[in-house]
Amino acid sequence: MAFPTTDIPPVAIARIEKNQLTFFQLVWLRYKRHKMAVAGIFSLILLVLYAIVGTAFTTEAYSNVTDTSIRLRPPSYEHPFGTDTVGRDILSRTIYGGQISLMIGLIAMAVEVVVGVLIGAIAGYYGGIIDSLLMRFTEAMFNIPQIPLLLVLGKLLADKVPPLNLFGREFSGSVIIIIAVIGLTSWMGLARIVRANFLSLKEQEFVTAAHCLGTRNGPIIFGHILPNTMAPIIVSATLGVANAIISEAYVSFLGVGVRPPTATWGNMLNGAFQYIESAPWLWIFPGLLIVLTVLSINFIGDGLRDALDPHSLVGSE
Amino acid sequence: MGRYVVRRLIQAIPLLLIISIVIFLLLQSSGDPLATMGGRRTVRPEDRARLARQLGLDKPVYMQYIYWLVGNDWVKIDVNGDGIPETTGTRKGVLRGDFGTSLVSRGRSALSLIGERLPNTLILMIPAEIIMLIISLAVGIYSALRQYTWVDQVVTTGSFIGYSMPIFFIALASMYLFAVNFRKWGLPYLPTVGMFDPKVGKTIGQVVLHMVLPIFSMSVVSVSAYSRYVRSQMLEVNNQDYIRTAHAKGLSERQVLTGHALKNAAIPIVTLVGIEIPFLLGGAVVTETIFGWPGMGRLFIDHLTRSDTPVVMGILMLISVAVVVCQLITDIVYAWLDPRIRYS
Amino acid sequence: MRNQLFKIVVLIAVLCLVLSACGPKVVPATATPVQANDTPVPSSPVPSEKKIITIAWTQEPNSLNRSYSSMWYMSVLNEIYSCSPWQFDENNEPYAFMLTELPSISVDGLVVTMHLRDDLVWSDGEPITADDFMFTYDMITNPANLVDSVYPYDKFIVSASDPLTVVMTFAEVFSPWMSTIWQGRIMPKHVLQPVFDAEGTINTAEWNMAPSVGCGPFNFTTWESGSYMQFDRKDNYWGTPAKLDSVIFQFVPDDAAQTAACLAGDADVCVWPPYEDIPAFREAGLNVMTEPSGYNEGWFFNLRDMATPFIKDLNVRKAIAMSLNREANTDLRLKVVNVTETFWDAFPAYVDPGITPWPYDPEAAKALLEASGYVDADGDGIREDAIGNKLTISEANTTKTERQSYQALAQQQLLAVGIDLKIYSYDSDILFDSFSAGGPAATGIHDIYEWSDVPAWPDPDSSYWLCDQVPSDANPYGLNYFVCDPTLDALFKQEVVTGDPAARMAIFHQITRYMHDNVYYLGIWEDGDVWILNPRITGAKFSGVTPFFNISEWDITQ
Repeated sequence: MAFPTTDIPPVAIARIEKNQLTFFQLVWLRYKRHKMAVAGIFSLILLVLYAIVGTAFTTEAYSNVTDTSIRLRPPSYEHPFGTDTVGRDILSRTIYGGQISLMIGLIAMAVEVVVGVLIGAIAGYYGGIIDSLLMRFTEAMFNIPQIPLLLVLGKLLADKVPPLNLFGREFSGSVIIIIAVIGLTSWMGLARIVRANFLSLKEQEFVTAAHCLGTRNGPIIFGHILPNTMAPIIVSATLGVANAIISEAYVSFLGVGVRPPTATWGNMLNGAFQYIESAPWLWIFPGLLIVLTVLSINFIGDGLRDALDPHSLVGSE
Repeated sequence: MGRYVVRRLIQAIPLLLIISIVIFLLLQSSGDPLATMGGRRTVRPEDRARLARQLGLDKPVYMQYIYWLVGNDWVKIDVNGDGIPETTGTRKGVLRGDFGTSLVSRGRSALSLIGERLPNTLILMIPAEIIMLIISLAVGIYSALRQYTWVDQVVTTGSFIGYSMPIFFIALASMYLFAVNFRKWGLPYLPTVGMFDPKVGKTIGQVVLHMVLPIFSMSVVSVSAYSRYVRSQMLEVNNQDYIRTAHAKGLSERQVLTGHALKNAAIPIVTLVGIEIPFLLGGAVVTETIFGWPGMGRLFIDHLTRSDTPVVMGILMLISVAVVVCQLITDIVYAWLDPRIRYS
Repeated sequence: MRNQLFKIVVLIAVLCLVLSACGPKVVPATATPVQANDTPVPSSPVPSEKKIITIAWTQEPNSLNRSYSSMWYMSVLNEIYSCSPWQFDENNEPYAFMLTELPSISVDGLVVTMHLRDDLVWSDGEPITADDFMFTYDMITNPANLVDSVYPYDKFIVSASDPLTVVMTFAEVFSPWMSTIWQGRIMPKHVLQPVFDAEGTINTAEWNMAPSVGCGPFNFTTWESGSYMQFDRKDNYWGTPAKLDSVIFQFVPDDAAQTAACLAGDADVCVWPPYEDIPAFREAGLNVMTEPSGYNEGWFFNLRDMATPFIKDLNVRKAIAMSLNREANTDLRLKVVNVTETFWDAFPAYVDPGITPWPYDPEAAKALLEASGYVDADGDGIREDAIGNKLTISEANTTKTERQSYQALAQQQLLAVGIDLKIYSYDSDILFDSFSAGGPAATGIHDIYEWSDVPAWPDPDSSYWLCDQVPSDANPYGLNYFVCDPTLDALFKQEVVTGDPAARMAIFHQITRYMHDNVYYLGIWEDGDVWILNPRITGAKFSGVTPFFNISEWDITQ
């Protein structure tokens, strides 16, 4: 088995050939070959730090303080990103908005992964009529175009949940709704992949062996088969975060997403296009942050896809 | 093969039924079309009650769905408000081709509204798809064949950036640059909104001119995504043994490409096209809204925000039917392209 | 294959460049600027000999039959191709239009007589007679027709003693008749009667979407769905023929597109632009015309059973009125609008002159709250009552960006005196959903509602505070989302049947005084119409009731 050895240090090669590297170390080695993917990790860490550490410099109350006498001011020393239409500081809003956007991305991804894996695993493992029903349902959901479905669900549910109080902060109920809506409209692809993998894996000998030993279905699914199909799940999850952040931006831009006063990068863009010329700082900063975050995550996802997929050892990038 | 097609079509029926039920239920609770009727003043209660009765909105949800599906010309409805149903209904229901009348433009059938906008969407989306496909293919194939060169790196990075931007960002930025600012700077500029300038009329030149910016915005995102997919498929195929054998036999690069590589890479690409085509009909909701293109996407969002169930259902069902049909066609094309695939 | 692909790609790219180069070029006009500045006035991109104006509309009408649509964007556009017995001028005063004189009322106020002019004709030459009025009335009140509103046609009967006289007989005195009846509604009997006879309804009549026959100064010519509508001048118009050749209404997707169209000169008229853009319009040399339309933005207080006890406390409401810095908040509209006090500020004669506006006095508000027993015991900035419940008020409005900005301002200003204002926003068709569907306004789950509304302009009548309008299971669409106060209810019931203007004014003085002292309504600002006009248009005047009343006089300087 030959693979390109140009970037891998001889020490590592020796260890590989002696099978001394763990799975994770091998993956990391392969991952490191993609400079852009590594850059993606750095920039994502920076962005997450921006959202988290930024709270040490400004309070959430400050991000909501309005003062119409300083509305629509361009970036200055006191307000490095300028002020918005009611005089709120955009920098602190992007910090707190970033927390919400990233949180939405992560939790929506979790919803998507859980639902997709469950449905795919059950459909693939049990087969027969359960498989038929679940796949029909998946196809039905898949056939409905995502943006219109997001709009319909967002409009339907966005006002139905009261605001919540978590960690001493108050969030508009629409955050939960948007997370649920994005998660529930993007699991279909993952379900299909997981199901396909389960269909092929359940015929393998180790599964037969487990059956013979009397292991129940649950531990077989989650303990034996699932770990062998982690690669597409991880990649899907990573790209799912990026997709969730962009979907949130879309839905908020069209006005049916997270409702004010909770700020997210997406809903800071809503209405900002009135001022496309006169106050570009309103949309440039949240927009740039969205693009950078999504870009980093896409690089990471791409790098992971290549690093985790054993077939990609030979030649492809 | 014939039996397979018939079986798939039959299986599609419960699928469409499930979709229609899901969407109908969602739409029912998302607002009252009579609440504002588009006006600025609040609507009088007597009028709301009357219209609810006349439009059948006071019936329970499942009855409304049944009327939508099979019509109400087999029951009597109460038209004059005295509580006694005396007039036969006039709706035939979806199964007989009647998608109902719009709740917003009362008196107009949903199909006629959709039919007015459908050509506009097709005029925009078909050239867009063709352009995006051609460019993605060109870029993807070139990138795969010239792997690791600086062109490949630039294209890869560019695709990532394009793929990571929300489309409205690109649409608005390009509108800002090419339409607004070019005009300010005295350069030849592109129009901002609409499909054509009313004073000039719906000429081909006008329409093409107005198409440039929307297609450009959609292309940036789609070409980025597609070209990467094409590239990875080409790479996978290129690394197969039979390609190496073909090279070893002395075939030129071009012969290898056309004779072997492309045909095998075509299958996943056909999937892509097959999936994209039906979404042509949904239009690109965001793009049409930003550029004011009078297509189905804009119709959808205008009527969704006013809770016009028949029109919204009509659009979504049309898209779903198109998706089902196109998936079937895609599978048939698969079988034709790949002799290893056989359907029972 | 690769080469071929490349050729195609390059060809397409070149094509795009060439096409963009062939776009219409703007030649900045060096015409005399309106203000003495150097910016060139944007001129029409397609110089032509026909006088055409383009009006940018952000909403597309859902029907061209006035009885099938309540959209403002339709009722205004309607004035171009249809006619009304009387219209309102730029001072919102009525004047006879299709009539020989303004209608006469009988002594007991129950019979209104209209005398039509004898030279009225439809665009196809048929004369307009009392038959058309009777037909219109029949169509509106016929339950087979899905008209938007039957109000107030169910309050009177119409009869015609001769082809030129129409008589309306009311069951009881109905003061707001002049502002609520016949505006733009007249339907041609000779066109629609056959449709009605054939189908039993006029719902599906083609005339609703393409009014081939009209009685206004312009004829309908085209409607391209989603794009534009065009009306051309009618030469056989019974009134003064229009000066313009065509009027085009172009449908733009949103305010930003509308502003861009007016600034670039693609559209000559824009309405309700965002206030932020007004300086840009002025700089570009466009005329900014404002016209009161009776609409005022305000806070409606909900005192029904399901509201919090806090909002039912008069002292809390007074404190709220004094802690909002309404004057400073008009910054959102660039301080161009006035703060209003009562719902009837557009009718100065009907407002009690003794009313003094609530001042912005946060200290007084705090003192009032302290004295009423709301103290901040735990130091978190929010006051509590004697039992320890936090002083929390919820406020809801629509998703319009400007309103959400106002909510944010109000939240901070009320926080400064210790009131926790929780803000919500809904799409309008969800906010006004019926009682049985759980609409937030109907079910009264919020304490304050904000929107812009008007009485029966130019008549002061309003049904918002009538007790029989309170939504309930029996009356799911009721309009009174606020309070059933017997005193107020009696006053409103009295004013609508009072014919004598002086007596009516006295009743409204009582109403406005009572509502002000009890803080049932708090005015935010006046919400008039703002029109942006390209200076090449001359002769344009706007009314707050019938904005295009003098469309025949509009002209353009080439």
